[in-house]
Amino acid sequence: MYSRDGVCSIRLPLLLSLCLAGCGQSGPAPNSNSPDVLVLKQNPVHPQITVTGASTIAPLMNEIAKRFELQHPELRIDVQTGGSSRGVTDSRNGLSDIGMVSRSLKPDESDLQRFPLARDGVCLIVHSDNPVTSLTDEQVVSIYQGKTRNWKDVGGPDQPITVVNKAEGRSTLEVFAGHFKLPTNEIQADVVIGDNEQGVKTVAGNLQSIGYVSIGTAEFNRDAGVPIKLLPLAGIEASVKTVNDGTFPMSRTLHLVTKSKPTGIVHELIEFATSSKVHDLVKELSFVPIE
Amino acid sequence: MATSRWTGRLLDVCVWGTPVIVAGMFLWLISDLILRGSAAFQPGTESTGASYSLIAVAEQILRFLTAAPERAGRGGGIGPILVSTGMILAVCMSVVVPIGLGTAMFLSELVSDQNRLGRLVRRSLDLLAGVPSIVFGLFGNAVFCQWLGFRYSIVAGGLTLACMVLPLLIRSAEEGFRSVPDSQRHAAAALGFSRWSTVFRVILPQSTPGIVAGLILGLGRALAETAALLFTSGYVDRMPRSFLDSGRSLSIHIYDLSMNVPGGNQNAHASALVLVVLLILINLTAHRLTYRFLHREVRYA
Repeated sequence: MYSRDGVCSIRLPLLLSLCLAGCGQSGPAPNSNSPDVLVLKQNPVHPQITVTGASTIAPLMNEIAKRFELQHPELRIDVQTGGSSRGVTDSRNGLSDIGMVSRSLKPDESDLQRFPLARDGVCLIVHSDNPVTSLTDEQVVSIYQGKTRNWKDVGGPDQPITVVNKAEGRSTLEVFAGHFKLPTNEIQADVVIGDNEQGVKTVAGNLQSIGYVSIGTAEFNRDAGVPIKLLPLAGIEASVKTVNDGTFPMSRTLHLVTKSKPTGIVHELIEFATSSKVHDLVKELSFVPIE
Repeated sequence: MATSRWTGRLLDVCVWGTPVIVAGMFLWLISDLILRGSAAFQPGTESTGASYSLIAVAEQILRFLTAAPERAGRGGGIGPILVSTGMILAVCMSVVVPIGLGTAMFLSELVSDQNRLGRLVRRSLDLLAGVPSIVFGLFGNAVFCQWLGFRYSIVAGGLTLACMVLPLLIRSAEEGFRSVPDSQRHAAAALGFSRWSTVFRVILPQSTPGIVAGLILGLGRALAETAALLFTSGYVDRMPRSFLDSGRSLSIHIYDLSMNVPGGNQNAHASALVLVVLLILINLTAHRLTYRFLHREVRYA
């Protein structure tokens, strides 16, 4: 029989080399662009600022950057996400000019220059049909540790509690766990979610659930008719107003960080981002401007 | 007797029921997207009084497809995002098609099933196909963005996607090549076709359905990819000026709108609708092309 394999063994070396040559043709496609990389990097006509970090801040920073670019048409600001820790490492090793950090800085991050950008409160939310109107700190800790498993133990109906927690690494989780002095590995969650909007959607879709999200996001969604309720904390109402006047205990400051004291256009951008010229943008994205 | 009749009935119901469920899920998804997403295409309130004319709606859709996003994506459109997505796919496909077809041809035409190199390639492809996309993202970030110095760019994103899509294309193209019966190869050889004439005139045309299926799978995976692109092509929603600019893909835009932007739901749904329509269009075009290829006359070599 005319065997494929027989032919192969004879012609294999030749054809292999042909095949490799064919594959090689596709290689130069990306490489042919590499001179452009150099041109871009060396081109002083188009200064570029890279901002990386917290996904919570990225949409806000993107809008601030666009407004700043209007005043500086030659400038390009690239905003990239990836989390607060990424913001810290990127600005440390020079991958970005400015980092975005949505939590207070840790002691070993004191080498970075920090600039408060806005404030954000984290609050507990339950479904609006849930009769429970407030929880003490002990009750919240007990629920999140899995010791309290039924709403009737905290004054609600006889229904099991669905505990909604944030994924490890999310700064909202750090704010929440830090406030309640709750080690994150002790949290017994039924549902683990990533972002604020996902938290709101999860709680709005489950009568028995409890979760925590940014107050700005929660307030916006509640006012838009999403069936959720913001629980007060230690008797203080959870609202943008109480975060703004500093009375709401579970809140965080959103920071911009740089490796060294910013100069030139980077300095200008930070000045602009922390000025009252962007307060409308801050409010529009459900954060609280720093007065 | 009665039991077997009832079992038969039950099986009938199952066999008829399952496709209905599958089709129903698709229709449900589509209608949900259309219902929620089409709100973004409704003409503004300033034109009240005049009933929704088709032209006004078309105008609105066109505006959504071409305008730049405003207010963190809650307003405006997805013009730059569509362009970025197209450029990422172009980079991806221009790398994947030659390498993919070359490797598939190597695996099916040049080496036997027992060949060591062939087995190694196949094994690695199967492993690659199972690697989660976030791993590709981190790999792409380390290799293309940092090591090769592309930074956050469309090139880096496209190349990362290429790594993800290659296994899909290669395996289905290989299946396509293998589905061509050996008798055809023998016939071609008997007619004095050279090896490469056989490949280009006989095997490639006959295996187009497999190749196209692989391409669709690949394009679909590339279009839907979020995690890998977040770390490589990036988040910038400006109109890209070159392949070295960072550009936000449609899937990242949908993710960001639905997850990080309060009130971004409506435009997230509208963007998702665009994404699904794009996928359907790609699918239809691919089928049309396959049909053409298969019914083309084979001319003499």
